[in-house]
Amino acid sequence: MADISRPLNRSRDLLNEAGLYRRLAAAHVRGQMQYRGSFWMQIAGNALIYSLEFAAVLIFFLHFETLGGWHPGEIAFLYGLSSVSFGIAHIIGGGFASFSQLIVRGEFDRLLTRPLSSFVQVLAADVQMRRLGTVLQGIVAFAVAAALTDLPWTLGRALYLPVTIASAVAVFTALFTLEATVCFWTTQATEAVNAFTYGGSHLALYPIHIFDVWMRRLFFFIIPLGLVIYAPALYLLDKPDPLSFPAWARFIAPVAAAIFAALAGTAWRSGVRHYRSTGT
Amino acid sequence: MRDSEQIIRVEGLSKSFRVARHRGGALGALRGLLDRGGHEVRAVDGVSFTVRRGEMIGYIGPNGAGKSTTIKMLTGILNPTGGIATVDGLVPWKQRKQLAHRIGVVFGQRTQLWWDLPLLDSIELLRHVYRVPIDRFQANLATFRELLDLDPFLTTPVRQLSLGQRMRGDLAAALLHDPTLLYLDEPTIGLDVVAKSRILDFLAGINREQGVTVLLTTHDLDDIERLCRRLIIIDQGRIVFDGSVAEIRERFGTHRLLIVDLAAEAAAPLDLQLEGVEIVRVEGPRHWLHFDRSLVPVADLIALVANRVQVRDLTIEEPAIEDIIGEIYRDNRRLNAPTSTPASLMTR
Repeated sequence: MADISRPLNRSRDLLNEAGLYRRLAAAHVRGQMQYRGSFWMQIAGNALIYSLEFAAVLIFFLHFETLGGWHPGEIAFLYGLSSVSFGIAHIIGGGFASFSQLIVRGEFDRLLTRPLSSFVQVLAADVQMRRLGTVLQGIVAFAVAAALTDLPWTLGRALYLPVTIASAVAVFTALFTLEATVCFWTTQATEAVNAFTYGGSHLALYPIHIFDVWMRRLFFFIIPLGLVIYAPALYLLDKPDPLSFPAWARFIAPVAAAIFAALAGTAWRSGVRHYRSTGT
Repeated sequence: MRDSEQIIRVEGLSKSFRVARHRGGALGALRGLLDRGGHEVRAVDGVSFTVRRGEMIGYIGPNGAGKSTTIKMLTGILNPTGGIATVDGLVPWKQRKQLAHRIGVVFGQRTQLWWDLPLLDSIELLRHVYRVPIDRFQANLATFRELLDLDPFLTTPVRQLSLGQRMRGDLAAALLHDPTLLYLDEPTIGLDVVAKSRILDFLAGINREQGVTVLLTTHDLDDIERLCRRLIIIDQGRIVFDGSVAEIRERFGTHRLLIVDLAAEAAAPLDLQLEGVEIVRVEGPRHWLHFDRSLVPVADLIALVANRVQVRDLTIEEPAIEDIIGEIYRDNRRLNAPTSTPASLMTR
């Protein structure tokens, strides 16, 4: 009897928490909208910064025919893929991206007095709408890509694009979660940890085969950004694989993302356990 | 087999922290991660007590005494290093979410309300977080609107509220889901006299009428004297007193102050030469005599004084509760000083 009702209860809890995430996140956005002018300015400012960066990269590559066999339009496509996913992850997982402040202000205790998982509450604690600017810039990059290259669209590719983006969003969100987990031990190392999230998102803008072997290993086997952005891009752009991975490597993005997210979740839970045993 | 009369049972509860040596910079922080050194501080050191349903208890102690750490263990935020505790039949750190439905928590210095949203929005959100049935919600909200006079600022963003208004909002938010137990951590800190009175009256009311058990920590002994019949004093992680306010006066407050106004400026200073009596201050004809009533009965002292000099007026003052408690801390430290760690180290 108990064996049957347990998973049922568990899934009801999950649904309940998902509903509450929506409410809490909406409340946070409503709060930001109180400062309407600044709200839109921040989105515009964010879009501008990322667009300038994109423009600089594009101008740079327009001088070369190709980079590691990739045309500027294809680079723009990769750029779009990375920016859109990073932007969405930053909106959804903003609470983890700014988690060190929550810890420093001592507000994490408050979350633990409520009948909800700390994970959902942290997720909803900061929804960084200004990151819509990054998403916007990513969409512009896709448009540029479409203008510069003939994208080899098929039904399969059209269906795999959202899967790729969802996988990349999951990996970036997991990275933010790992970054937040470190805060349970120290809030002084956030800059060092930022190197992996922000640095990772920047490196994912380029075709990974142009990097050194160590960097490639890092992005394929440790932080699987290569598996969720670069490898699917090979398929989406119909490019040959200079690293000659097996063909299925282009399609394991969702699996890689799920594994990485599960690992980040485990790390987070051990972080919470550590916090609750030390209070720091 | 839980004793439903007792809502909180704590036995030998302890919490030790490892305090690492502090190093500067990111490199220092990284080394701090690896270094398991440092020394151990016992923030809470074998605390035991029980609380009956409907009691209102003051849990007091100086900064770093272990008050907040105890509360954090009893809400399920922190795991203890030793000892056991049940709150309403649940083990807080194992059944945190279940317990959350039955307790209300107010941290005086931190609000749980959404800063940029109207107070009513926060209350609505918490209704969903705690899954309060709509009829209970409406009844409770109506009650709090009246008792806490929330209407003038119910639709004002929380950031624009005065400290007193915000605290009233926080109390409503904490009690919305009908908790049987309310923890208050410094609920009157920073409030003016009027705002404070109003909050103390409200707390007395919900305790009396709805039978909510209240455990409050405070620096302000005025709160305790007005609200709590029972007082638990903790210092350096240990309970040094557990009893009524009257009892504490009885046991520790044996000193009194006799203020004597002489009829004329005395030619010679008033000198009684009596053990347990000390003249602590002289100002013109007025003398302050500090005496221990367990050594010198009041009647004897007055008779003795009246015998020596012409007295125009006499007053006897009881020591303020602050002074008595200050005395208890000092005694406790004298006893424990050589072995324990300075309490100030564990303030976070």
